[in-house]
Amino acid sequence: MSMSATPLSPEVISKDGNAMVLSMGPQHPSTHGVLQIMLEIEGENIVKAEPEIGYLHTGIEKNCENQFWSTAQTNVERMDYLAPSNNAFCYALAVEKLLGITDQIPERAQLIRVLNAELTRIASHCVWLGTGGIDLGALSVFFYTFDLRENILDLQEASGGARMHPNYFRVGGVNGDLPAGYEERLDALVDKFPGRMRDLRALLQANPILQDRMIDVGIMTPEEVVQWNITGPSLRASGIAYDVRKAYPYSGYENLQFDVPTREEGDSYARFLVRLDEMEESMRIIKQVRDKLKKVRGPVMIDDTKVAPPPKETIALSMEALIHHFKYMTEGFRVPPGDVYQATESPRGELAYYIVSDGGNRPYRVRTRPPSMYNLQSLKGMAPGNLIADLVVMIGSVDPVFGEVDR
Amino acid sequence: MPSTQSPPLLGGAIDPTAVRPNIDDAIIERTDPAHVRERLAQLKADGYTMLLDVGGVDYPQRTPRFDVVYHLLKMPVRKATLAEVGRPQRLRLLCGVPAENTTVPTATDLWKSADWAEREIYDLFGITFDGHPDMRRIQMPNDWEGYPLRKDYPLRGPARERSPRPSFALKSNVNAGTPPSGRTLEALQAQIAKVRASGDGERSKS
Repeated sequence: MSMSATPLSPEVISKDGNAMVLSMGPQHPSTHGVLQIMLEIEGENIVKAEPEIGYLHTGIEKNCENQFWSTAQTNVERMDYLAPSNNAFCYALAVEKLLGITDQIPERAQLIRVLNAELTRIASHCVWLGTGGIDLGALSVFFYTFDLRENILDLQEASGGARMHPNYFRVGGVNGDLPAGYEERLDALVDKFPGRMRDLRALLQANPILQDRMIDVGIMTPEEVVQWNITGPSLRASGIAYDVRKAYPYSGYENLQFDVPTREEGDSYARFLVRLDEMEESMRIIKQVRDKLKKVRGPVMIDDTKVAPPPKETIALSMEALIHHFKYMTEGFRVPPGDVYQATESPRGELAYYIVSDGGNRPYRVRTRPPSMYNLQSLKGMAPGNLIADLVVMIGSVDPVFGEVDR
Repeated sequence: MPSTQSPPLLGGAIDPTAVRPNIDDAIIERTDPAHVRERLAQLKADGYTMLLDVGGVDYPQRTPRFDVVYHLLKMPVRKATLAEVGRPQRLRLLCGVPAENTTVPTATDLWKSADWAEREIYDLFGITFDGHPDMRRIQMPNDWEGYPLRKDYPLRGPARERSPRPSFALKSNVNAGTPPSGRTLEALQAQIAKVRASGDGERSKS
């Protein structure tokens, strides 16, 4: 968090004396959190935009170093609070790679993880669409999308126990099988989804006001997105079909049929359409996973009491289970020394963890590659030359989450 | 929090990156601040077009003490289909930075995306990037003391370390400071004893 304003460049001050510095935020409703943007403007035209971040810095990476491998995951979920499961997913995969147990994760656990990750992706895009609509003055979109999101949060609560931060994924699998009645509720969501998407598309996609606000606003060429290190839907809206789920498949994504929506225009409207298409592709994955889950039964946690706590029901019956449980809860487990870079496709782009272990029972270093931070940084290149009103559209179109930008 | 319940099990690996298990996630290269600039420029020319991430790690026992970790990706710089992107090669460049001279040349002129990442490393590790256009703190306030992600930085911050909040669990800690209410443990205990002696507990009118 920087208290001082960005110094004005001398040539701008001298230009007719018309330049003015405007601080947008950090408490501005269109900034989707606590983002301050120092704007140099001439009239309504942006000459320079310098986002100031750090207002939500909570030291998550430092905290992780003082937690067990298992409890650090609780912190990690708090970064991208709109897609907590995706963070936990990536962290669990990274630690599993360090432990060398990637191939021992039960198939049912992998399917449940993919199911939750895709549900979270839809929920996260629902928030983006709802709040993005509010930015443009389309208030009613918010109610449609949050209704859909609520159904997904209900499912998260059923499986993980909490609406916002289910903490359902664990190193070695997931915490318990899906509860009774889950399939029916999932079926209800799958049945509801196409109609709701039809509504949203009818409301927005061909809407002339929305098109006027979004088309040709914040154009990023393929050269620029690569230069600014943009990933996720914003990258694919510029025509580069890079999706970590396809490029470096994990957790069984290679066995699922789905397309990677891309657009060529690279403007805010293209990013909007890519995300809408992505929601439908996610639903396609969810349907396949739902059918597979009916056939694949069995454990949802690795059968290794050094990594996973023993099942609760065995603790009262077996001395060894009790000892393992005590050791797991008081000392955690050790991870062999080494470092790993694990990437996953979060709703915002390539979410990756660079994790270092020194062989102890706590992570030595958990470095996040925050997709939101790099995507948001690109505003510096995107905003100049546009109007202030368009800046609001651009912030919405890169979909930053400040828990992740500031960590 | 576990840190107060059980002692940490130290792994003891002074340089974990040297003993890593066989994980196939990237090509790994090592370099030092004198050569990192040249190597990055060369890699960019070789097709590593995207600077995925720049991070830092602190190994206090090791020489050189810090690692600045670059992750690069061979991404096509044009419109590309799924098949054309394929499985782009990833590369990890570890740049060891000695504790005596924590300066690394910047990569911002090669990749604009290095800007905030380098500022963050400066903010949290105290490694300066020579030639960076705007070397300010980014996450912490400008007047912050110390570099939080260094291993010798206390978890709760230096200010709290100097004047710890007294723990009422241990009587010996009471002298460490007066609690915010201004009431000492003895005063509280005396009040509790008075209420108990009066016999009517919470209904006391005192």
